[in-house]
Amino acid sequence: MASTKQFKNIGEDLWKSRTDKINAELFTMAYGSLVVQLIQDYEDYAEVNKQLEKMGYNIGTRLIEDFLARSSLGRCADFREVGEVVAKVGFKSFLNITPSVVHHPAPGSGTGTAQPAGATPRSSLLPSQNAAIQAQTHSAPGAFFVLTLDENPLAEFVELPESALPTVGADSTPTGGLWYSNILCGVLRGALEMVQMQCEVVFLSDVLRGDESTDIRVKLVRYLEEEVPVGDD
Amino acid sequence: MSHHLFLLSPTDTPIYSLAHQSTKSTAPSSGSTLSSNLPSWSTAPFSGTLTALSGAQSVGTASTQNGAPKIGAGQDRHVIQMIANASLDVIEEMMVSNSAMYLKSIDKFNEWTVSAFVTPGNMKFVLLHEAKNDEGIRSFFMEVWELYVKTAMNPFHRSDRTIRSTVFDARVRASAKKWL
Repeated sequence: MASTKQFKNIGEDLWKSRTDKINAELFTMAYGSLVVQLIQDYEDYAEVNKQLEKMGYNIGTRLIEDFLARSSLGRCADFREVGEVVAKVGFKSFLNITPSVVHHPAPGSGTGTAQPAGATPRSSLLPSQNAAIQAQTHSAPGAFFVLTLDENPLAEFVELPESALPTVGADSTPTGGLWYSNILCGVLRGALEMVQMQCEVVFLSDVLRGDESTDIRVKLVRYLEEEVPVGDD
Repeated sequence: MSHHLFLLSPTDTPIYSLAHQSTKSTAPSSGSTLSSNLPSWSTAPFSGTLTALSGAQSVGTASTQNGAPKIGAGQDRHVIQMIANASLDVIEEMMVSNSAMYLKSIDKFNEWTVSAFVTPGNMKFVLLHEAKNDEGIRSFFMEVWELYVKTAMNPFHRSDRTIRSTVFDARVRASAKKWL
């Protein structure tokens, strides 16, 4: 299990060794016209969000192959490591950005709680048991990490029109609106699904919508078991 | 001393306009303008005629201007628009002959001088001003051009729609305050 520093270096190396790079403005404008065209076609922001996520999913399922081939990283030990690799190696090698990560272990009970209020049980555990519980908590379904993107190459120069901003509902929670970079959520979901993790990936906030920061939450729903395709014996 | 800026698309659709009151003290020409000597009731019917004339020239322009009253040193809004419209012909003539972007002052009407700036994308920036300020206006136009390019990069921007972005508006005003 490589450390954070090593992941950073791996990410840097991957980015540098990549020979086909694309002009950032071209990329931004291509994505921009894609989103605008979707809006014109569907005329419903919720639907556009869904379509962007779907497109991202298709990209992600293919992207993971490229990523694993180039990085030759092995299986991640726990979900926490997944978060680190996604942020430091994944985003870095494809978009040349390094979002910051905040990990949240699963809200567990029983043996899953590695951070109980009373710390006395901990001292009686062997270090190996402790680590196992730690890993388990960080890998239990329900664990999630939040990526904070301080720069988003997809959304350079973009200003959302009034109609795309969320409206405040009756219970004063914002609803609706366009998640401009929703394709990223799909990419993460698709890629992680190909490595046997079913995740729920959503945007929490977006500077384009007037929020303080751009946050994506990746929550582990469950691990997928290998399934024998129907028809095989 | 005030300035009026109009941004026009290549099809001569106004996509942005701004009236700016300069805080800088300039040449004491503002006291001796023709219209300020005449009482406003005498220029009013005059401006009405002009509006009718300008209306025949380009109907779309006059009607799409937003109705919010803007401060313009007591000048009637229609006169300003008429002057800006009349200068478009001059700009087009000059565009053919002069390939520079900044066309200095191309027209003069009473006390209003019209300066123009044509971008490589055939966007016209028209500025009505009273005093002579070539260098400041050139810098102002360059800044407005940069701000416009950033706006044009926004995928939600249409080249013939008005610019509604408050960010753009704020920046143009700040730039106007700096240079004019």
